[in-house]
Amino acid sequence: MAFPIAYLLDMLVFTGIFGIMALSLNLEFGHTGLPNFGKVAFFMIGAYTSALITLAGYPFILGITGAMAVSAFFGAIVSLPAIRLREDYLAILTLAFGEILRLILKNEEWIAGGVLGLKGIPEALTTTSFKSALYGHLIVVYIFVVTFYIFLRFLEKSPYGRLLKAIREDELAAQSLGKNTVWYKAQALAIGSAIAGSSGGLYAQYLSYIGPDLFMPVITFAVWAMVIIGGVGNHKGVLVGALIYQIFERGSRIFKDYLQIPIDPNNMMFMIFGLLLIIVLMFRPEGLIKEEKIKLL
Amino acid sequence: MPFETNLLQILFNSLISGSLYVLVGLGLTMTYSLTKFPNFAHAEFITLGAYIVYAMTDILNLGLISGIIVSMLITGFVGVACFLMVFRPLANRKGTMVHLMISSIGVGIFLRYAIQQIWGGQELHFSKVHFAGYNLGPLRVTSLWIGIILTAVILVIILHLILTQTKLGKAMRATSNNPSLAQASGIDIDKIIMIVWFLGAALAGLGGFFKAADTRIVPVLGWGILLPAFAVIILGGIGSFYGMIAAAYILGLAENFSIIGLISLGISTDYRTAIGFVVIIITLIFAPTGLSGINFSKWFKRRRPHEGEVME
Repeated sequence: MAFPIAYLLDMLVFTGIFGIMALSLNLEFGHTGLPNFGKVAFFMIGAYTSALITLAGYPFILGITGAMAVSAFFGAIVSLPAIRLREDYLAILTLAFGEILRLILKNEEWIAGGVLGLKGIPEALTTTSFKSALYGHLIVVYIFVVTFYIFLRFLEKSPYGRLLKAIREDELAAQSLGKNTVWYKAQALAIGSAIAGSSGGLYAQYLSYIGPDLFMPVITFAVWAMVIIGGVGNHKGVLVGALIYQIFERGSRIFKDYLQIPIDPNNMMFMIFGLLLIIVLMFRPEGLIKEEKIKLL
Repeated sequence: MPFETNLLQILFNSLISGSLYVLVGLGLTMTYSLTKFPNFAHAEFITLGAYIVYAMTDILNLGLISGIIVSMLITGFVGVACFLMVFRPLANRKGTMVHLMISSIGVGIFLRYAIQQIWGGQELHFSKVHFAGYNLGPLRVTSLWIGIILTAVILVIILHLILTQTKLGKAMRATSNNPSLAQASGIDIDKIIMIVWFLGAALAGLGGFFKAADTRIVPVLGWGILLPAFAVIILGGIGSFYGMIAAAYILGLAENFSIIGLISLGISTDYRTAIGFVVIIITLIFAPTGLSGINFSKWFKRRRPHEGEVME
């Protein structure tokens, strides 16, 4: 009896954690037009930073704050060589950054345990039973989801958010109005990376174990799938996208027990995932829920 | 095993790495400039090439040469199929560059797990193909390494001749320079683009076979070469054939010489893949158009700008 509920709660926690990632990518790509192909790097930075801070005995809230600060720093610094240029350079650079970061964390045992990773990361709330722990996680994660959602909605409607959209639509026009677009793009990446970093921190405390192999590039593209399926530029949409992705991923895992197919279910899931990405881009590139129009007076 | 630090061996190893990057980078840079997006699925063309050679030689008992030819043909057709079934329709539907990049990731994920489904995720080795090794004085060579270098050199010469001496080469250069003008001049640019996709994927497959023969066959084979390949084409200047060749050997030298530094510092030699990352960053900061965009003659003779000319 307890199993399906625990499974559902687990799924919702994952939806929340990756929903935060999707929100951050939506700010970067959906609103500002910056294709960050290294989302997993900032997720990883957040997870490792917060894990190291909480393992050193400091409280969870300090861990998350640290994770956000370090991720924001890297988000702004790493992209600097590429944001003056066309968006494809940013994509290649951030993708490469993720790979190199994983290489470093794998090889340098003194930073965070190397290949073995970090174990026994303290949870945000100390609880007694398994079930109350799950509810605790759910509450913690969704406090962050709601906070970031409200923050990003506020940002979207502010003049600042309109400026970011102006950069997406026509950077030259924004520049000619006297806006330092490179500086604003770096800010958008810093904010986006900070949010992604906090999601990494939540992930680390939820799993209580992290290692380099948890942060493969496919996570980046799962987050991209959430944004594209849910609706580019719509914060509500990308949260729906995160839920759809979780249902798809878990559904295919459950399905394998009932289906007699000669294909390995893991391989099949990824093959369908690749096809789905192409089909959505081809037939509904704006996603399920379209971007809202800017309300003028 | 003591690590070889003799200079000759390092230069020779650089030549091998550089030659591999030439094979892999060619298709990447050409399709990038013709179809205007970086094709991340190129990594999977590399992997596919290696696995098909494996299937031909180890499972079907074909000879190595015929195995390589079949592999290049199949990989080339897969490249063209990706272009015709995914990238061209998407571009026709007004897909942006980011849409094309994401779709290439989708294609890549599909191909990688299809490969994993067919041949399994474990690492494989070419058991029926052996390469003789020789010691030339202090230099250790194998017939495979000589094959890699010779293939790249012959390929570069042939492509150079095609690009400069034939009508096809002229059409290719025109298409990559200005597609609409090329079309207006009566060039069938669709045909040219398809030839480039075929050639690029086939050569990536060949490069994949060489890399796999030198190491092992795994589903992430191509993904591991993709980062240095991007470093090569960015350093060379996207779409530049000669820039790419120069950049391939520069990166080969940088990676192999970095091994000495890494070993003397006591750091893992895995970090040589980070050289590509450093190259990308430096290129983007100082010369975003790459080697092909640098006006070298400017460095040798100072000249005053003509009337009305803007000095870069």
